Amino acid sequence: MPPDPVARNAILVAEDIIVRFDTPEGPLTAVDNVSFEVRQGEFLSVIGPSGCGKSTLFNVIGGLLSSHEGIVSVAGETISGPHKSIGMVFQEESTFPWRTVTDNVAFPLELVGMSKAKRVERARHFISLVGLDGFENRYPGELSGGMRQRVSLARTLACEPSILLMDEPFAALDEQTRLLLGDKVLQIQQQLKQTTLLITHNITEAVQMSDRILVMTYRPGKLKRVVEINLPRPRTSEIVGSETFGRYVAQIWNDLREEANRGMRDEEQNALRQEEQAL
Amino acid sequence: MAETGRLRQTAVASPAINPVTLLRIAIILAVLAAWEFLAHSGWLYRDVVPSLLSIGRAMAALLTDRNYYFNLGVTAAEIGAALAIGGSAGLVVGLVLGANRFLARAFEPYLYYLGPTPKIIFFPIMIMWFGVGPESKVALGTLSCFFPVALNVAAGMRQIDKVLVRVGRSFRASTWQMVQKIYLPAMRHPIINGVRLGFGFALIGTLLAETKLSNKGIGFLIIQTYSIFDMPAMYAMLIVLFVLAIGANALIGKLGGLDSIKRN
Repeated sequence: MPPDPVARNAILVAEDIIVRFDTPEGPLTAVDNVSFEVRQGEFLSVIGPSGCGKSTLFNVIGGLLSSHEGIVSVAGETISGPHKSIGMVFQEESTFPWRTVTDNVAFPLELVGMSKAKRVERARHFISLVGLDGFENRYPGELSGGMRQRVSLARTLACEPSILLMDEPFAALDEQTRLLLGDKVLQIQQQLKQTTLLITHNITEAVQMSDRILVMTYRPGKLKRVVEINLPRPRTSEIVGSETFGRYVAQIWNDLREEANRGMRDEEQNALRQEEQAL
Repeated sequence: MAETGRLRQTAVASPAINPVTLLRIAIILAVLAAWEFLAHSGWLYRDVVPSLLSIGRAMAALLTDRNYYFNLGVTAAEIGAALAIGGSAGLVVGLVLGANRFLARAFEPYLYYLGPTPKIIFFPIMIMWFGVGPESKVALGTLSCFFPVALNVAAGMRQIDKVLVRVGRSFRASTWQMVQKIYLPAMRHPIINGVRLGFGFALIGTLLAETKLSNKGIGFLIIQTYSIFDMPAMYAMLIVLFVLAIGANALIGKLGGLDSIKRN
């Protein structure tokens, strides 16, 4: 591997990221010395059990958490705070309930002072891209959860970010909607050649979409393994049934099971301790 | 896609007369009947409970009296000024306290202690500072409406869905853009509620002050009718005032777009 990240075509580089939090039980290392890079056009997933610090990592890369060690750089430029090349999609419900679909998607364009006619046109384009034609003038309250998440995705894509950063964007959805929405995201990603970093705990989702998967350990969150997914593209959710797919899932689950078990034991102990303290 | 748009609940077509409405009408009729009965029973001192007819006559006289409209205008202007000054001050203070944890911890206890204090106890000071005229009424109305608005706005700001703030930050919104495009619209419910509460308190503060010591305004007229024991006129004024207050409250709700709020 050439030593220069630019030569390796890396657009986003995270180096030695460490995040510590102060908790009532003492300092907690949420993310421990994590380094990785995302290459131009790549779909990279970070997978790990709950409590592995992957959402913390999301906030660090998105520039929403500044109290960390290590460096995140985009195209060689170290970031300090939210960067214009990184577009974030959040896990939670994040559409503005007081804005129509069009006005939601046009929101970031409004912030940079784009003219109304232009931003409406651009919003329409991305609304159509996520398959919400005909819903332009609806309010989020009138849409289903999956549709609202697509509005969030369109809103982030509307700024045309170099890197799309998503934190479990389908976590709140039911399985079928999740698979179909996953197809939509894959299709868009392949169409736009969108560099994407997906944070997830869902193995199927990660294997279905990614070029590479970073598996993280339970607390403190370290990189356990990097898995290259050599499945043909373009992919759809049909791939889920294939044998190779199953092998990847099994391999990653093997890595994750140990971590998830540690996480569960840890949580049980915490619950016991809290119970004792309460008594 | 396996998704369906969630349909908004539509109002079910109601039968000709809803039983609830019927009961409400019955209650009003019963109260009026009891009132009229008491008026004619002779059990109470003359005119403490005047007959409905005499109240109606007094109201007709009132509504054709130019002097009444002048005083109504004075009071309305006082309340309007109190709401404008106290409400906007409350909004600003509420926004600052809601946004800044440090300031909130330092100052909010004062608001909580002063908030429920009957502001009328400060009236002598207001008279001393602003005189017997409308100015002291505006001051008391302002004082009354400031607290509920400030506390509501501060609490509302803290209840904002945090992810919306993170969305704004991730799109690199400036502080002013955050206030204008995220905080204020996200807080429209508590703000409107705060203004409605503020209006109620401004109304109470102003009228209370007028009844204590004044030379014009509705409160002054009411206390004047009381002191010459013109009970029908007094009741007529109270009824008109009551109706006006309800109307104004509904108007604030309309202006604040309560209809469009129901969307989410």
